[in-house]
Formats: sequence, C-alpha cells, structure tokens
Amino acid sequence: MRSLPARIVGGVLVLGLVASLVGAATAQKRGGTLTIVRPTDPVSLDPNLETTAPGAWVYFNMLEGLLTLDDKMQVKPALATSYEVLSPTKVRFKLRPNVKFHDGTPFNAEAVKFTFDRALKGSPPARWASLAGSLDRAEVVDGLTVDVVTKEPYGPILRTLAMYCMGIVSPTAVQKLGQDFSRAPVGTGPFKFVEWKTNTHVIIERFNDYWGDKALVDRVIFKVVPEEGARMIALQTGDADMVLIPSPAQLPALRKDPKFTVHETTGIRVVFAGFHAGMAPLDDVRVRQALLHAVDRKAILDNIMEGSAGPALGVLAPGVFGYKDMQLDKVYPFDRARAKALLAQAGWTPGPDGILVKGGQRLSLSWLAARGRYPKDGEITEAIQAMFKEVGVEAKVQVLEWGAVFQQVRGNPLNHHMFTLGWVTSNADADYSLYALFHSKQVPPAGWNTSRYANARVDTLVEQARRSLNQTEREKLYGEVQDILAKEMVWIPVYTTKEIVVSRTGVKGFHVHPVEYNLALWKTWLDR
Amino acid sequence: MLTFVVRRLLLAVPVLLGVVFVVMLTIDLLPGDAVTLMLGEHATPDAVARLRDHLGLDKPFLVRYLDYVGRVARGDLGRSIQQNRPVGTELADAWPATLQLTVAALLIATGVGIAAGVASAVWPNSLFDALARLGSLFGLSMPIFWTGLVLIVVFALWLNWLPVGGAGSLSHLVLPAVTLALPSVAMVARMTRSAVLEVLREDYVRTARAKGVAERWVLGRHALRNAFIPILTLLGLQSGQLMGGAVLTETVFAWPGLGRLMVKAIFARDYVLLQGAVLLFALAFVVINLLVDLSYGLLDPRVGRQG
Amino acid sequence: MDAWGRFRRNRLALLGLALVAVLATSAVLAPWLSPHDPARQSLIEKRAKPGGKYVLGADEFGRDILSRVIYGSRVALLVGLLSAAIAVAGGLVLGTLAGFAGGWLDAVVMRAIEILLAFPYLLLALAIVAVLGPGALNTTIAVGIWGVPAVTRIVRGAVLTLRETEYVGAARALGAPAVALLRRHILPNIVPGLIVYATLFMANAILLEAALSFLGLGVQPPTASWGLMVSTGRDVLLVAPHVATVPGLAIMVAVLAFNLVGDGLRDALDPRLRGSG
Repeated sequence: MRSLPARIVGGVLVLGLVASLVGAATAQKRGGTLTIVRPTDPVSLDPNLETTAPGAWVYFNMLEGLLTLDDKMQVKPALATSYEVLSPTKVRFKLRPNVKFHDGTPFNAEAVKFTFDRALKGSPPARWASLAGSLDRAEVVDGLTVDVVTKEPYGPILRTLAMYCMGIVSPTAVQKLGQDFSRAPVGTGPFKFVEWKTNTHVIIERFNDYWGDKALVDRVIFKVVPEEGARMIALQTGDADMVLIPSPAQLPALRKDPKFTVHETTGIRVVFAGFHAGMAPLDDVRVRQALLHAVDRKAILDNIMEGSAGPALGVLAPGVFGYKDMQLDKVYPFDRARAKALLAQAGWTPGPDGILVKGGQRLSLSWLAARGRYPKDGEITEAIQAMFKEVGVEAKVQVLEWGAVFQQVRGNPLNHHMFTLGWVTSNADADYSLYALFHSKQVPPAGWNTSRYANARVDTLVEQARRSLNQTEREKLYGEVQDILAKEMVWIPVYTTKEIVVSRTGVKGFHVHPVEYNLALWKTWLDR
Repeated sequence: MLTFVVRRLLLAVPVLLGVVFVVMLTIDLLPGDAVTLMLGEHATPDAVARLRDHLGLDKPFLVRYLDYVGRVARGDLGRSIQQNRPVGTELADAWPATLQLTVAALLIATGVGIAAGVASAVWPNSLFDALARLGSLFGLSMPIFWTGLVLIVVFALWLNWLPVGGAGSLSHLVLPAVTLALPSVAMVARMTRSAVLEVLREDYVRTARAKGVAERWVLGRHALRNAFIPILTLLGLQSGQLMGGAVLTETVFAWPGLGRLMVKAIFARDYVLLQGAVLLFALAFVVINLLVDLSYGLLDPRVGRQG
Repeated sequence: MDAWGRFRRNRLALLGLALVAVLATSAVLAPWLSPHDPARQSLIEKRAKPGGKYVLGADEFGRDILSRVIYGSRVALLVGLLSAAIAVAGGLVLGTLAGFAGGWLDAVVMRAIEILLAFPYLLLALAIVAVLGPGALNTTIAVGIWGVPAVTRIVRGAVLTLRETEYVGAARALGAPAVALLRRHILPNIVPGLIVYATLFMANAILLEAALSFLGLGVQPPTASWGLMVSTGRDVLLVAPHVATVPGLAIMVAVLAFNLVGDGLRDALDPRLRGSG
C-alpha cells in the first residue's frame, strides 16, 4: 500500500495529466474546409475593380497592404514594418523582408510602386482612386524602402493606406494574366486563390509560404446563396459553417442556441434619412429638429432592426477616427409634444385632415428610398412615415429600384425633400465622411453632400483637418464640426450597422471586425 | 417543309435585330447608367467620364447599336460592362444550368399537368376534379419563394433527403424543378381539361361513339390529337415562361442560371451582357415557336402551313 | 336550357360567384369592414400571432393583417381584372388578325410577338414605370402588356384550326363576310378557352405585381397589396409564417373564385353542350 504523500503526488500527477489532455483537446486544430455562405458573387477579385463586400471578403485574405487596421481600429504594420514622416507630403516605409507572393516572386519596393502606379495612373485607374484623396505615387528608394508621396499634405494618409483595397499585387502575375488577373489575383496573404465558378463559389486555400502565422484551415469555400431563408437553413443543416448577412429576425433565437455562435460588433456604416436642407420647408432648422423629435429611434432599433444594428449617436460611427458622440438621444429625444411645439413655432397649424398647414400649403414631404440596398431601408422609411403622420407631417414615399434612386440622388437638382441612404467611412477616418458629405462644394455630382448643406465654418474646418498631419489637432477640428452639425442636423441618423456573422459552434478563433470588408479568416480553425 | 424551316429561321434575323434594338433603347431610357452604378460612391464626374470613355459608352446610340450588330455578326458578343468578361463565357457558364432546370420543369409540368387535365375532363366536377383544381391552384397562387422555402424546410431541414441549394447533382435539381413546375402544372392541367372537354363533344367524336367504338380508342385517337393544338401552344408558351421566369427559383435555390444573370444585368444597366442573354432567349423562342407551328401541321393536316 | 340556367346548376360555379361577390364587397366596403386602420403601425406588436386583437395576426410593423387583406382586395381586383382584360383584348385582336388574315400580316404580327416574348419582363416593367411613373395602375398595364403574346398565340392557334373546319369553309364558300364568320363561328369557340386562361392569368398577374411592388415599381407605402404583403413577408417566413402565408391564401381564394366562375362560364357558354348534359 502506498503512503499518503505518495498517493497525493500520484493524484496530482493524474490530475495534471487529465488537465493537459483537456487543454490539448481545445488547442487549435489544423485542417478542414470552412464553408461560408453569402448573398452575392463578387464582380471581381481585383481591388482596383471591386470595392464592395462580396469581393473584399475574399481578397482581404489574399492581398495585404503596407498597413492594416486591427479589430480595435488601430493602424498596425502589415507589409511595412515601420514608417517615418519625411515631409508633409512624403512618408517613408521600411518593408518586411523575405516575403513572397503566391507565385513565388519576391515582394519588394518595386511591387509597391507597381501597385500604386497601376491603381492611380492606370487606364482606367482604380475605382477607389477618388477616395484616396491626394495620394499621388510611390517611389522606390531601395529594395525594401519605399516613399509614398501625396500631392498635398494629407492627414488621413495612414488610415487610407490601411484600407482593405490597398493590397499589394504581384507585378509578374499582373503582366502574365492581364485581364484575367481580376478573376485570379496573386498577393502575399495567408490564403491563395484556387477557383472561381461564377455565381456558384470561390475557393481559396492556405498559402504555406506565408511570412507570418500560417492559416489554420486548409480551404475556405465562399458559396453564393441569395435567399436569406435558405442561408439560415444551410447553417442549420450544416451545409454551411458560417453565414454572412444573417436574418435579423432569427438572431434572438440563435444567440440562445448552444449549437451556434453569434459574432457581433458595431460597424462603421450609418444609415440615415437625409433632409434636402435647401428645399422649403426643410430649410427651416426648427422643422428639421421637430422631425428628429418625431422619430422613435429606439422602437425602430428594437422592432425593425431587432438588435441587428446599434443606435446612431451621430453622423459617424464609433471606431471611426474623429468620431464624437453627438448625444443625439439626449439632444433630440423622441418627444411628440416637443415636435409639435417646434412645428407650431415655425408657423404650422393643424389642417382639416390632421396634416399641418401654413399659408395654404400642406406640410407634405416627398421621400425617395430604395428597398434592399441597405438593411431594412424600405422598412425604416415606412416606419418613419407613420411616425411623421402622428405629428401632422405627411410623407409621400416613393420606393424605387436602386438604379433610379441612385440617379436622382447623384443628380442635381434633387426634387425630393428626403432620401434614405447609408454611408460607410471606408478608411475609418472622419475626413472620408465629413468632407464628402458636408462640404458646401461637395454637392452632387461632385461629391455626396446630398443635403445641400452649406456652412462656411464647417468648410474651413474640414479643409484644415484634411491637410493637417497632427492627429490630435484633427480630432479637435472634427469635434467642432460635429458640434455644429448637431445644432443644424440635416440628417435623421437611424442606426449604425453591426457586423454580424453567425457560425456553428465548431468554428473557433473567429473574430468579427468593425469594418465589414475586413473578414479575417487566418486565425479561424475548425473543431470537428 | 425544309423551305418552311429555312424561311422561318431567316425571319428570325429581323426579330433578333429588333430585340437588340429595343433592349438597348430601353436601357438607355432607364434612369441610371452602368458606369455611375459601378463606381457607386466613387462616382466623381471625372472618374465617370474617364471610365465611360474607356469602355466606349459615350458614343451615340446608333453608333453603339451598329457597332454591336457588326460584332455579333462576326461572332463576338462583346465584354460585360460590370466584369469585363467575354459575354460568351458568362452565358456559357449559366446556360447549361438554365437548360437543365427548364427541361426538368417542363417534363414535370407536362407529365403531371396533362395527366391531371385529362383525368379532370373524363370525370368533370367529381371529387378528383375538385381536389386537382384546388391543389394546382394552390401551386399557382402561392409565390415561388413560399413553395420553395417550404419544400426546403421539409426535404432539406426536416427529412434531410435533399440538399439546401446550389447545383451539381440530380438531387440538387429535384426541388428547384418541382418548385418551378408547380404554377405551370396548374395552367397545363386546366387548359388540358378545357381542351379535352371541348373535343370530347365534337360531332365526330359523338359519331365515333355512336358507332360503338371503344371509349379509350375514342379518347386516344380523336380527342387528344385535336386537343393537342391548344395544349401545344400552351406548352410552347410555358417553356418560354419557365426559361425567362426562373429568376425566383434560381434565387431561392441558389441555382446559377441565366435568370439571375439577366436580373443582375438589368439592375446594373449592363446592356452588353443583357443583350447577349436576350439574344440567346430570342433564338430559343424562335426555335420553340417553329417547333410548335410545325407540330400544328403534323397534328392537324387541315391547318396547313402558315407564317 | 339557356346559358344562365346551365350556370346556375353548376354548384362549383355558384360557389365561385359567391366568393367573387365577397371580394367585391370587401373592396367596396373596406373602410367599414376593417377592424383597424390598415396603415396604423404599432412596432412593439410586430408579427403578432393570429388571434386576439389582431384576428389574422400583425405584420412586421404591427399593422393588422386582416384590415390590410381587406383593403388589399382593391389592388388585387384592379390588377387581376384589368391586366387580364388588357391581355385578352390585345391578344384577341392580334391573334384573330394574324390567324385569319394569314400571309405577311401574320408574319409581321408573329415576329412582333416573338420580340415581345424575348424581351425580359423586368425590363418591360422598368421601362413602363420609367415613362409612366410607379403605382398600381402602371404596373397593371405592364402586366397586361406582358400577357398579350401568350393570348395572341392561343387565339391564333385556335383561329387557324377553326378556319379550316368544314363549316367555316362552307360558310366562306357561300360568301359570308369575314366579320360575320368571326362573330358566329370562330369567336364563340375561342372564348371558353380564353376565359379559362384569363382566370389563371390573374394569379400570375397578382404575383407579378407582387414582385414589381417589392422592387418599388408598384404600390407605394403604406398602401396594402396582397402581392407586396407576400413579398415583404418573405424575410420572416421561417419565423412568422403567417405574415406571408395569409395574403398568399387570399390570392389563392381570389384566383379560385375567378377560376370557378371561369370554368362555369366556359361550361355554360359552350355551344356544343346544347342538348347534352
């Protein structure tokens, strides 16, 4: 018979063994195929030609830029290891050594220059060239050093270079494949391209010569399943491991279901009902403020978005550099009495059918919206239409197909009082939104100031902030812009998107990123 | 007969030219255009002008039309505006899937529809007639996504017999083909019932009956042969509808066919891709109409050859 | 026995007529029959199950489905009847023209029909809406025009057959004018089949209007149309099936009603039934 101390030691050893076995069971496993379903096929896998999510989701895993944005929205090195600001218009990047493209050719400064030339000076240039602001070119200093030059001092430069579509491409591959490159891109990322069957699936597989931590799964298949109901069923049957763009109505049940994991985080897109501030009666700030008070945003978030979106506290999303909480819920709470009082102050009195009138004119607004362009855009328009009616404002909604809406919204003049739109701050820098949306010279078709908002102080502030490289100063300037906007409100911000991905519990290691395009799959592994 | 066929095929040419003309004109008429939609939020006037120029989309309508016709005559269907891929390749990717689905649905619709219709005509206003009517009306009135999703829930989720969607094997074809065929079954069944009833009362059928010829003989030889003309017309039309109307089915079942391709092209105003697809359909219609007209002649020699 | 007598004896046809009457009453008396305001939203009660305050349940905005179904009968009747009428009228004219006249006229009409058939329906609807603007009436016109080729082909096929029958041949030989021939011998034989087709076409028409309204080309919010209710209920089909299914059933009942009436009319008007059961 063993002595007690011996038995204790033995017991501890056994426990230790068991513990290590359990630990090993939850350690990452390599291998397997991850099947993802999403609504549409990409148009192209070349970032120059495709900046929307279906393509970005795929090429984000195959191409890398100089910098990247992590899921805490901080700029981090990727293919560049360090940078140095040489002058207000020139930044020098030291590149990572010993990095190979999927086709075996080496990554170097030449490749960076090639990528920039192709994007900014190509024929035609990249789709995103217009949002690159004053980005001009990249100059080779030596094999692993490159200078990025801008035409004018450009404050957002780092975040712009960290964008999902700034991936460096292999010059050899571009020259060899020509136009076919858009169907089979070659980059330095943790996954490489395998196959694309149009309207059916795109397959990528682990790149074993990746410079960093190799991806854990062997392959990823992106399948196209346009019908939302069918996507959710595919998740249930196991035909799919992960669903992008899940059905909001099913989220409450899925969150409680141990077979599934709901990954969610606040995104960077704001969906709003915009006012044409140049068209009476919306040129009166009291009317606009009254309309803000008339909308019960919480009811919309709870019942239409059903937790699939977060509150819009301002015109920017949290996580965007320069974001300020405009405290809209405190400044413009849902308050019908206040709305009616403001409208009365502005000279509107109830008419015979309940709709307000002033000087013989009914308070009737024409409203342009699409259905399905942004999540629940048609539904929130209809809900707000009903809310307006409660305070005596009639909204004549025209729901048109996106092409028609886009045409009108991009055109000048705009013959509607209101429109439902969404806006994503693609480079997560306030400049991208505040300049394009609120600068007085950015009225369509030059820019996106669909509200026809004009404020000289705001113009000066956004111009200054764009040219300053001092990020603290920029933040202050943008703060002031948002303070001014909060008083003049030319939008009813309705919600900030949430990036939501639902997966089966066997899918581990996945983290959803606030930027919808940054679908990082290299840390994901399958426990099956 | 050969001259008839050749003449009809030659007559197809103005149809094809006409269709392309009308499609191109319509797309131009619609608000929004391919380039601004493609560029989306990056559509500055500069970028738009440059891309239009690059793609040759800023030339006047007639120039583009004649350009296009000339190229098609040489066998070049052009490149799609959205993807810059040869239209021929894009169509070749999607066409087989559409053909499979259409044929399968047509077979189901014809088989089930005619059988039900004939049975209804032989026992009019009976319980069977009533049930068949109700059942087929249900299939016709409930929208395709409804029947599709219900079938997926029953056969893929609950019973796990069939896959949820996509294409690939016969088991992938079953649900979409049945869903697509359902509305047609109703049409075919009702029209068959009507046509057969009419013919059953024709004088010569009554004469044959009076002569004591067996019921089945009567039915088979005389009734069906003459009922077939309207049924055939309907089938010709249904195949057209099935081809062109498969969008919803393709969407629900993630079936990579031409329907979805065309709808995407319309929304993106990608008229090059759209025209390629429409030409394909137009050709298919011409062939179907030709076959239907030929069979009129075969089934009822009195009709002779027309058109 | 005359046509009305035959119709009266057909119980299914009478049922159909009764249902049509219910539909028509619904449409006309909607404001008095609806328990709630069809546009009144109550977001907190979204997708309420049938029973209690909302007899047939509530939609995604908390609006009463029963009230919306009652009001929706207006759009359904408009779309169903008018588009069928347009399709039948257009098709009859073109079909008889092509079938009877033959020759180059037939060729021209058939080629035009082929062009229309190959033309994508969605594009046709978008074009009509671009020119005329959105709204239920304009989508109805689009649906009607879409139906013309089918009816034309059916009519032409029937005319071709009937043209060659003995007694038409005989009447022609006797010198009867074309119009009389059409009226007395040909049309009465086509009409029954057409009626059946038209009643079935209505289901199609309502569903097409559904797709178009969903895209924003048809009725505008907050107007209720069965088709639009069905389309917007699609997203929640797996969670709250009544939202899409109830209006779908309404479509089915309406189509059934017209179908029964149509079959009854067909049976009643069939000239060869005289003297038989």
